[in-house]
Amino acid sequence: MNPHNKLFRRLALPLATACMLAVVGTAFAREPFTAAELQMKDDKLMESVKRGHDIWYGGRADTSTNGLACANCHPDAAASNPQTFPKFLPQFNRVVTYREMVNWCIENPQAGKALDVASVDMTALEAYSFKLHRGKPIEPGLNTRQTTGIAVQSGVGFRTKPTGIGFDK
Amino acid sequence: MTVQNDGSRRKFMGLAGKAGLTTFAAQAVGVNLGLVDVVSAQTGKRPVTPFRFAIISDPHLYSFNDHVFDRQLEDAVAQVNALATQPDFVLCTGDVSHHGEADQLAKGKRIFSKLKAPLRVIPGEHDWYLDMGVEYRKNFGEETWSFDQKGVHFIGLNSILTPDFWTEAKLTPQQRRDWFMPLASPVPGVWGVHQKQLDWLKKDVANLHPETPVVIFTHSPLWDYYPRWNFQVSDSKEIRDILGKFVNVMAFHGHVHHTVYNRIGNLTSIGTMSTSWPWPYPPVELPYPEFQQYRADPSNTADGMGSAVVSVDRNGGGFVNYQPFADSLQPAIRNGFKV
Repeated sequence: MNPHNKLFRRLALPLATACMLAVVGTAFAREPFTAAELQMKDDKLMESVKRGHDIWYGGRADTSTNGLACANCHPDAAASNPQTFPKFLPQFNRVVTYREMVNWCIENPQAGKALDVASVDMTALEAYSFKLHRGKPIEPGLNTRQTTGIAVQSGVGFRTKPTGIGFDK
Repeated sequence: MTVQNDGSRRKFMGLAGKAGLTTFAAQAVGVNLGLVDVVSAQTGKRPVTPFRFAIISDPHLYSFNDHVFDRQLEDAVAQVNALATQPDFVLCTGDVSHHGEADQLAKGKRIFSKLKAPLRVIPGEHDWYLDMGVEYRKNFGEETWSFDQKGVHFIGLNSILTPDFWTEAKLTPQQRRDWFMPLASPVPGVWGVHQKQLDWLKKDVANLHPETPVVIFTHSPLWDYYPRWNFQVSDSKEIRDILGKFVNVMAFHGHVHHTVYNRIGNLTSIGTMSTSWPWPYPPVELPYPEFQQYRADPSNTADGMGSAVVSVDRNGGGFVNYQPFADSLQPAIRNGFKV
């Protein structure tokens, strides 16, 4: 008898049992996260998004010496295009990450002090901007004539969608 | 509110009377005066003498000395001053200042004083809500006005009025102003011109002939572009109805900080570039996308801003030339467009 066949016979039953257990286990195992765990994770993300929103709108003084903030040019994070990074940018003459571009804006138009790219605040800026681009396809390197974020559904006091008045050409 | 009138209405009445007499005399002796003059005299349409006006939008001046926006406004002033044919006047569509502070509005007046042509201003929300227009009026006069220029009727309205959300909440003037700083601020809500100005507008145009060319300026657009960013005037429908009797209405606005065009019935709406920074386009499908300016290159500090000049022809039609600081315009509008 081929020694391999002998080995197979000896292992067949345990292997089959293990496979069956795995299948049954998958069917009856709990979800990777409980509802409470998912809520906690979402809450933590939203904390970061809100922190990012505040910095985006000028909440961290050392990121600007001329009064300008991210939101001057990027209301609702529009045209910040996090989903198009990494990409080559002429002012760097190399491929850069979104965080590097954020720091470029802080140091140039805002004439402020760059953030540590691994800092909580930089993560928060990224969280805010990515949150407002959710659902957009990830297209590294995309250079477009015009891009916009998503139509934001929050904001008390504003109608969130255009009514269409005016589009009657 | 005051109505500023340069007296051309009186001049027109005089001219119309003379034209009527002349037409009568010409008909009597069989002289052909030319079709336009005869039609003008018979219909009451006022004759238009071609001229230009320029538009400078949204300087957003800060209190810092030698701020980058000071220099960009100075560039726009220099652009207009360099025009070979000078405009009859220059219109600023509001947001002269960023925080409505006295020094910012005074700085705006100082920089604008370098213009060769006279200046007209309407307020933006950034100019207004610190002191409800006190410093604005000191520097630039009343916020609602109209005048006649060479046969064209010009109107300026204060389009950034919101309901009072500050009194009951006991907000300080600074707090009230600060709620207008973010473009998508959650508190003030959509703004408009409100009833008092609508009543004024009705009276202002009541006696104008329908063929009178009308040009109206508001800070934000007279159509429902993107209300979340207040790219609208809440009572624009009422304004369009009041102006509905006119053959042609040109509406110019700032606030959006980019080029945009729309036409609703007799009203053509044209958005102008700012001198401070370009806003991106909102997530709205535009009816005339060829009027969009290119996305600004952040590494080119001059890109995305500029001024505009409008030439009015003898029929009261307009020809708009955006004057970007850099290469911002699509080919369709690069050499100007008719309105």
